[in-house]
Amino acid sequence: MLKSTFDSIGKVALFGAQAIRDAWVPPFEGEYLCKQLYEIGVGSFFLIVASGFALGVVMTLHTRSTLVQFGATAEIPVFQSLAFFNEIGPLVAALLMAGRVGAGIGAQLANMRATEQIDAIETLSVNSFKLLVVTRVIACTLMLPLLTIFMDAAGILGGFLSEHIWSHLSLQLYVHRAFDGVALADFVPPTLKTAVFGYLIAVISCFYGYTTNEGSDGVRKAATNSVVISSLAVILADVILVKCIFFLFPDQAI
Amino acid sequence: MSEGQTNAATIAFEQVEKGFDGKKVLDKVSFTVAEGEALCILGRSGTGKSVTLKLMIGLLTADAGKVLVEGEDMAALEEDGLMKVRRKMGYLFQSAALFDSFTLNENLALPLHRLDRNKSPEEIKRCVERTLGEVGLEKDGNKMPNALSGGMQKRAGLARALVLQPKILLVDEPASGLDRITACEIDDLLIKVKTERHTTMVIVTHDIHGARKIADKFAVLDKGRLLAFGTPAELDQTHDNLLQQFIAER
Repeated sequence: MLKSTFDSIGKVALFGAQAIRDAWVPPFEGEYLCKQLYEIGVGSFFLIVASGFALGVVMTLHTRSTLVQFGATAEIPVFQSLAFFNEIGPLVAALLMAGRVGAGIGAQLANMRATEQIDAIETLSVNSFKLLVVTRVIACTLMLPLLTIFMDAAGILGGFLSEHIWSHLSLQLYVHRAFDGVALADFVPPTLKTAVFGYLIAVISCFYGYTTNEGSDGVRKAATNSVVISSLAVILADVILVKCIFFLFPDQAI
Repeated sequence: MSEGQTNAATIAFEQVEKGFDGKKVLDKVSFTVAEGEALCILGRSGTGKSVTLKLMIGLLTADAGKVLVEGEDMAALEEDGLMKVRRKMGYLFQSAALFDSFTLNENLALPLHRLDRNKSPEEIKRCVERTLGEVGLEKDGNKMPNALSGGMQKRAGLARALVLQPKILLVDEPASGLDRITACEIDDLLIKVKTERHTTMVIVTHDIHGARKIADKFAVLDKGRLLAFGTPAELDQTHDNLLQQFIAER
């Protein structure tokens, strides 16, 4: 069990390293990359924004019920923005991406493998790894930070609406309080860490889809593994990356 | 009907062995296919016919022996070398294996965009239309593969295999899943390609009627071994019961 786990981790790591190496080697699949950027980015936009908004509302309701006991409701906006910038935005966006995009990538590539479409690409002298894997890895890596920004914005907007209904706080004052005391280091490193999450989701999902060889059962396994393993990888990577951010930006840890 | 060794061999199998999970699928198989020749590989299901095709195009690697395509040892080639050899080859899959998220036009344009960067979009469009026209699908270029019948998918798969003007065409079960009339249409298309383009062909089939129309030579595989190799006329002379079951028209 332990041996096969390490064996799988090793294979995924090599697969991911190959994706990084091949990303710099021409010919570049620009047209197909744009298609993936659109499918992953635009396709996930509504889910991310809607979830961020709902989370923003719920977060504010919870925070308010606690802070009201201490007479600190004025701090709700900054709690909201810090929570979203530091953790909720990046992590939830990544987990949603793992569910929506990871499962899609795993199932699609596994289906292409089962129906010999990947072999067909190879017979046409086209590098299937570059076409199918590298483009998806780049697209996920680039799009997740962008989607995280939208999730943060939607979360803060949801928080504002919730707070506005309760206390009739103006947008101007809410935004002022939300960003007062928020440093660039509160926003940039956590947002950039989602590029790592995007990379992990894409590599793991592509690995399970691209390397399967078990027909329709392989499609099921690939879709399941893509979601489960990439979600787990995102959470574990988050622990490490948060530690790294605290190391690089000690003020964050206080 | 001996194991043929032609000097101008485009494809040569030399004592090729291939197995999966300890089971030998091909056992010391040797034959050659000369330039412009059409070889039909016959045999029962599971005797390694499709594996033979995949070895020829380098999708699989032989466990022992050599697979030579235009003198190149497929197992010894690096990725770039393999791609160069594959540019000379077309492959029609049993299931057609069309890219299901692309239209037919995009299916055919995929290799053209990548392999000939000097071609303008107009040239690529013309090339795609011409190739689809050759298989009678000129009006279906904007359709998705799932909107096509089985026969149309086969023809589209053939168009995609031909779009790079290959010197060698590998065809896996062209008649499978098709009615007799549609299967004959596919056979006629293959004959047209062979006569007009002088394409070397290797066709795996169970359809002896089609095979007799197209083939210059037959290779009969049984239990992983080459049971017989030669022209249809040569094999017709044999009195081997098993062989006759494969090649006799019923």
